[in-house]
Amino acid sequence: MAVVRIPTPLRPHSGGHDRIEAQGATVGEVLGRVGETYPALRERIFDGGDLRRFVNVYVNNEDIRYLDDLKTAVGEEDEVSIIPAVAGG
Amino acid sequence: MSVDMPDSLDRYSRQVRFPALGEAGQLKLLASRVTICGCGALGTVLTNHLVRAGVGRVRLVDRDFIETHNLQRQILFDEQDVADNLPKAEAAARKLRLINSAVTIEPVVTDIDHTNILDLVGDADLILDGTDNFETRYLINDAAVKLGKPWIFGGVIGSEGQTMTIVPGKTPCIRCLIEDSPPPGMTPTCETAGVLGPAVAVIASFEAIEAIKLLSGARDALNTELIMVDVWDWTFRRLKVAGLLGKVDCPCCQRRRFEWLDGTLGSHTTTLCGRNAVQVATRRPEPLNFAELALRLAPLGEVRQNAFMLRFGTEGYEFTVFPDGRAIIKGTNDIAKARTLYAQFVGS
Repeated sequence: MAVVRIPTPLRPHSGGHDRIEAQGATVGEVLGRVGETYPALRERIFDGGDLRRFVNVYVNNEDIRYLDDLKTAVGEEDEVSIIPAVAGG
Repeated sequence: MSVDMPDSLDRYSRQVRFPALGEAGQLKLLASRVTICGCGALGTVLTNHLVRAGVGRVRLVDRDFIETHNLQRQILFDEQDVADNLPKAEAAARKLRLINSAVTIEPVVTDIDHTNILDLVGDADLILDGTDNFETRYLINDAAVKLGKPWIFGGVIGSEGQTMTIVPGKTPCIRCLIEDSPPPGMTPTCETAGVLGPAVAVIASFEAIEAIKLLSGARDALNTELIMVDVWDWTFRRLKVAGLLGKVDCPCCQRRRFEWLDGTLGSHTTTLCGRNAVQVATRRPEPLNFAELALRLAPLGEVRQNAFMLRFGTEGYEFTVFPDGRAIIKGTNDIAKARTLYAQFVGS
């Protein structure tokens, strides 16, 4: 199963987990599964059916926007990362 | 010193001996001019490195005064600066001149906005991000892309940070990466989530080394990825972002619409005369999430809310925040201070 990496700011909404395993053949399916288990997390990542514009998703180290967006294929060993904007400094 | 190195380069001898920099690179550094936007945690570390390294002219822009809780991570300041009530840019300039009198340091105490940014960065070879909010970063990005100047993004929260080097036309810009800033309350700030000094120092140091490469002419060695570091759990990632250039329909670098620079987006801040209060009016496409904001602010002070407004008190200030992102901050008449408080507690 693919692993979804949850960034620190979103962990309050993922039951504290930093990694969640989820089934799915595409990024959309994998994140959909995670969202079913953690609706509050889904709310922070998605705006309706689209990713929020300040949240980026990577498969391994590749931004899905230059791949196939939410239709990007995900293999058993792949890692899906949610990368939020980091504001401070 | 080596026998063949000019006296003027002696103080830089240890970096000049680093082959990839060399004397030619050092001479380019000495002839360079940078603008550092923000002189807080990132900005003090950045400017410390660059002034010591001999970047010839450094303009330091910051809107704030120093407070005791800055000293944990803002390495150029001390308790006397707090007692003297010095602006950050001025206090930093005084320290930096003692460190390297050969560098020309120009402190500018102002709030960077769409009316002044082109003047602040127009003559710089490179713009450096020492800010703590996305509004200013989008402004820097617009100015940099419009003028075709490189800039280096850095952001830190808690124990983690990100940095990326932006060379207009050659790399994606910050709006290719993050088209819209998170709405206030949706992401943590240093005030709500905390921040560790060493985490900021790591990111600022990455920005500084990129600056040294860029200014010394070593463009082939520049970072072309989004670097992410977490110093608490020892993760270091290099996310490939180069493919975003031209692939995403970026309003800034592809369509050349400079919405932050022309004032279409961003905040419009005014003092409320006689009320010891400032209104910060941020234009936002979507309403604020009060529940989310209340959750973040509750540990820091009393929060009251209804459907129309959220009221929050901390450190002697009272915030009244409205769903459209507008806020009235009581306890100050100072626009720059109010914008700082807004960025710190509500978010940018």
